[in-house]
Amino acid sequence: MDTSTLFTNVRILDGTGAMPYAGSVLVQGNRIRTVGRSSAALAPQGATVIDGAGATLMPGMCEAHTHFSWNDSATLAGIQTMPLEEHVLWCAKIAKKYLEAGWTSCVGAACAKPRLDVVTRNAINSGQIPGPRYLAASQEITVPGALGDETLPHLPFPEFSFGVNVNSADEMRKAVRLFLKYGVDSIKLNLSGDNFTPDSPAETTWMSDAEVAAAMDEVRVRGKRGTAHARSAASVKQALRHGIDVIYHASYTDSETLDMLEAKKDRIFVAPGIAILLAMLYEAEPWGITHAKAVAMGYQHEWDAAQESLRAMHKRGIRILPGGDYGFAMTPHCQNARDLEFFVKYLGFAPMEAIRSATLYGGQIMMKPDELGIVKDGYLADLLLVDGDPLANLSILRDPKRILAVMKDGAFAKSPEIAAQRRWEHAA
Amino acid sequence: MADIHYTNVRIFDGGGEAPFMGEVLVQGDRIARVVRNASGVRAAPVGGARVVDGAGAFLMPGMVEAHTHFSWNDQPTLDAIQRMPPEEHILWCAEVARKYLDMGWTSCVGAAAAKPRLDVVIRNAINDGTIVGPRYLAASQEITVPGGLGDTTQPHLPQPDFAFGAIVSGSEEMRRCVRMFVKWGVDSLKINLSGESITGMPSDRCQFTDAEIATCVEEAKAWGKRVAAHARSCNSIKRCVTHGIEVIYHASFTDTETLDLLEQHKMEHFIAPGLAWLINTCHHASEWGLTPEVTKKMGYHRELEAAVETMKALRKRGVRILPGGDYGFAWTPHGTNAKDLEYFVKVVGMSTMEALLSATAWGGPMMKMGKSIGYVREGCYADLLLVDGDPLADITILQDKSRILSVMKGGEFHRAPPVRSARTTRWAA
Repeated sequence: MDTSTLFTNVRILDGTGAMPYAGSVLVQGNRIRTVGRSSAALAPQGATVIDGAGATLMPGMCEAHTHFSWNDSATLAGIQTMPLEEHVLWCAKIAKKYLEAGWTSCVGAACAKPRLDVVTRNAINSGQIPGPRYLAASQEITVPGALGDETLPHLPFPEFSFGVNVNSADEMRKAVRLFLKYGVDSIKLNLSGDNFTPDSPAETTWMSDAEVAAAMDEVRVRGKRGTAHARSAASVKQALRHGIDVIYHASYTDSETLDMLEAKKDRIFVAPGIAILLAMLYEAEPWGITHAKAVAMGYQHEWDAAQESLRAMHKRGIRILPGGDYGFAMTPHCQNARDLEFFVKYLGFAPMEAIRSATLYGGQIMMKPDELGIVKDGYLADLLLVDGDPLANLSILRDPKRILAVMKDGAFAKSPEIAAQRRWEHAA
Repeated sequence: MADIHYTNVRIFDGGGEAPFMGEVLVQGDRIARVVRNASGVRAAPVGGARVVDGAGAFLMPGMVEAHTHFSWNDQPTLDAIQRMPPEEHILWCAEVARKYLDMGWTSCVGAAAAKPRLDVVIRNAINDGTIVGPRYLAASQEITVPGGLGDTTQPHLPQPDFAFGAIVSGSEEMRRCVRMFVKWGVDSLKINLSGESITGMPSDRCQFTDAEIATCVEEAKAWGKRVAAHARSCNSIKRCVTHGIEVIYHASFTDTETLDLLEQHKMEHFIAPGLAWLINTCHHASEWGLTPEVTKKMGYHRELEAAVETMKALRKRGVRILPGGDYGFAWTPHGTNAKDLEYFVKVVGMSTMEALLSATAWGGPMMKMGKSIGYVREGCYADLLLVDGDPLADITILQDKSRILSVMKGGEFHRAPPVRSARTTRWAA
């Protein structure tokens, strides 16, 4: 028989945008069986009863732009020089941390070696390691000289590069086919540059339409998804023209770009990853990036443009999701919930809208819009028990002590703490 | 890390004496106090220490596996081990490392890895807390010769990456090979001195030249590393002694001269016969096509008889025989390693006390940790098992995970003792 868990006396924040209410939630097997307005519902026989004492019960969160293989290093080279074996164990460790931090779903946005994401996803799904639901990405596909080409003149070897370099539609097709062979869920294309790499800054756009078309052609043949690193307006438009539905960053827009985004708003997702912009401007000095240097690199210009673009997108009802580029020294893993605070502080979100972007929209970007992301009868039981009210203070979502319990697929990834202490009472 | 106070336990301290009732205090990563007292006597509480009332359970040192292959993946062939991609392989090793600790092996001696860095990476990840596992000494791949045990390349697939072992021919290739593994950070070099019937070269042959062996040992010693040998044949065992190869795996075929030699040098060598492999290959591998008829033809039945006679003789001569060996094949799956202790008792004729000591008292020097592990004594590392029952009466209970109530490594519970009563209502927040 399926195991059951009954959460009683909880404040349910269901993720749809509705105001929280007192009630109880019964989980049976891996799904939510009943959501009730009685705060002291009767437990079925054998159920584990969790008296929440008024804590908030909300859907597990979804990170829309995850890089398990970024190793909290300050440079791309620092990520790439980690050997393969260590890198896999690193990814496994990070996957567990995300889950315990309340991210029950993550959308892989690129990995640093060809199979890291695929292997991590498979190991999670087979139960070998704990981790969130995961969509596995390819490496970043780029062109010579653009973001992700970390080869050097005297070290031209592909293994030395952070991303995969292609040069022509045929090479693109071959690279994409290889990643599809490995079993990725999405192909990541670096359409624009990035101020992180001064030789290919954010407002530059690098790939030919023929190359992007070849990639998306292969992606469609196998029923997968294309995602784009697109900071420049031209790259956002290029992504939309070619049917790329997941757009990362989208810092620079003009009215044409915004119109194009709005026209496709039921299909597309934007995950801006703004934490890295703020971190580079204000928090990167220990790694040699002073504020003045960051401004000179173009980060202030981009941040100003990004706030304007994202506010406009939000007003137009375009789905903006949290997550993005955590895994650098200045944006360490598992601070990801800061994005929700930034959405409120800088982009004009209401706290409820910020929550919805991590829950309701999360189920949608995970391609499970009818069974994941909200607290509702029949939905998958990905739930967080949170000490406090995230609507009053979003920062509690990045405090491990406030995340009292994490449930994924009906099983606790993090159990309520008090129960764990009881085991000391007796042995034998 | 909380201090732990075990009370009401029956202590087997690893010294070879009968167990006694008492209590053990663990502070930090070490055993701080061992006290004898009468059954049922209440111990004085120690401030700040959590009490584990053992209710008379058996407290013994964590066991040491002397011949471990985390990267063998419970498959029937070397080829099937080698075909696992490196990403999956490292996750497999991490999973197996945890399983060993689950089963009470708080230390393991790596005996060879299937890809160059697997053992090193796992040891480092255990030590820095990335993964959970026993204390571990990392081995190289098996070093072998073209056509020898571990050369799984084929005429049309000659790439070194296809090979299970590292293939060398000639002293200078050996030297380079040893240096590469030392560069990766291994604790020991594994050299396949003898053949292995399942792979074509019979177990009673020796495949290396003396010059190659000498280079291996010389280079390893220059870097302060240990050498371990796969040595089934009489000739290969003798060469272990003459070349100073400390760890001898298998040691199946011996003559009086070899036995004398081993006895003369008995404190310089460790023998881990890996009897489970021979016994199960002979009698329990039919499912994978190795019927008793097939394995008889391969010579394994003759080898098993020889190995049992050798172990009986070595036991009488006081040579150190340790458990472990070649778990990780389909018919010797990981986690069943305590069968070795059963075989030591039932096949070799050890007392249960000797079998337990082989896994504890001799484990310390095998781990290069002297007497700091392998004993329940003040000052030793707190690697402790709490066992439901008496392994001295029935050695097989150590094969049963549910009978190993808790596993502690370095003063921390890897598996804490189960609680007596489960509660269904829990409080959070």
